[in-house]
Amino acid sequence: MAQYYPGTTKVAQNRRNFTDPNYKLEKLREISDEGVVKILGHRAPGEDYKSVHPPLDEMDEEPDYIKEIVEPIDGAKAGDRVRYIQFVDSMYFAPAQPYLRSRSYLNRYRGIDAGTLSGRQIIEARERDLERISKELLETEYFDPARTGIRGKSVHGHSLRLDENGVMFDMLRRQIFNKETGKVEMVKDQIGKELDEPVVLGEPLDEETLKNKTTIYRVDGEAYRDDKDAVEILHKIHVTRSEGGFCPE
Amino acid sequence: MDIQVFPHRILGSDRTEMLLNRIESLNNVKRTVIQGPRLPPEDPSENPKYAEKRVITVKDKEIELKVKTGRVFVDISNDSDVIDVKDEIEEICEELLPFGFDINIGKFIRTQRTVTDNLKYGNGSVPDELIGMTDQSARLKDRVTILKKD
Repeated sequence: MAQYYPGTTKVAQNRRNFTDPNYKLEKLREISDEGVVKILGHRAPGEDYKSVHPPLDEMDEEPDYIKEIVEPIDGAKAGDRVRYIQFVDSMYFAPAQPYLRSRSYLNRYRGIDAGTLSGRQIIEARERDLERISKELLETEYFDPARTGIRGKSVHGHSLRLDENGVMFDMLRRQIFNKETGKVEMVKDQIGKELDEPVVLGEPLDEETLKNKTTIYRVDGEAYRDDKDAVEILHKIHVTRSEGGFCPE
Repeated sequence: MDIQVFPHRILGSDRTEMLLNRIESLNNVKRTVIQGPRLPPEDPSENPKYAEKRVITVKDKEIELKVKTGRVFVDISNDSDVIDVKDEIEEICEELLPFGFDINIGKFIRTQRTVTDNLKYGNGSVPDELIGMTDQSARLKDRVTILKKD
């Protein structure tokens, strides 16, 4: 197996697990296909995928060797639109974080474009592939209903204190903790458009489980400096990069 | 002297109500300020099940909660008792804030009139005990509630 991430701590191991495509992610909850479509908000549930017209089969395409070598993903074959899903991960022991998301997505999925920012991470893909990927991301260890936000816009909140029930701040209040059921419900789609019926995302993970699953080094969890192996590799990269020169000409 | 309570999580209305009632029942507490992110305005289309904004009752007085509690500043009437009051507040917080909190002694509520105060209320017309009780963008009557002490 390739060395995906250095380190001897649990955080490092979790990072390796995410980035290793052979590692099977634990399924933690069930969200229906219709629920995923509603959350994404790109099409109404049951509606056909919008695709190029005339269909790709009827188009005269220029001959291209790459098209012969690379087998297209389903969405590309059908000429789907490119759509997106964006996640925000709280600094308070969220299971995933933006850089790790990008690294792991690129190891796990084909035909995607991942964009990383400090507090949020966007993934773009052909619509039907995006729905398949989103379902996997929402149902597995990548996601926690309280500490991970699905936010197409107005993403602010990843570094703010959590609410007393453990839910991350969201100015549009898309994911809401239902006191009666103890579950988090998605009452708006990812860009904040009200849903007719809330999509139940399930119970938030407890603090202990989150600390076991997190990929974030924290002083009050596992501190980065305590991970000797990871720090050593980081030093090595820093020294070789400095000695080699950033831009040798 | 003031005491600042900094909960490690943002408090909801129920817990704020409990905390304020307990703090207000202590002797030597003169003024209490709660500070934090503003609650969204009431939205008639919102499902009332999810509404966070509500009226809380502190010492039999109804107060419309405008913010989610991120910090609580407590002004002490007698500075020499500050350590005792801090210990009492700490005990209350240990019971009500299981997720952790920080507590500090210092000066957290301002005591001098600002230029904005003078512009808004006229030179020197704000009573001393109302200085620093609200932010410059809000009206005093919207934010300050006076509780009668026995």
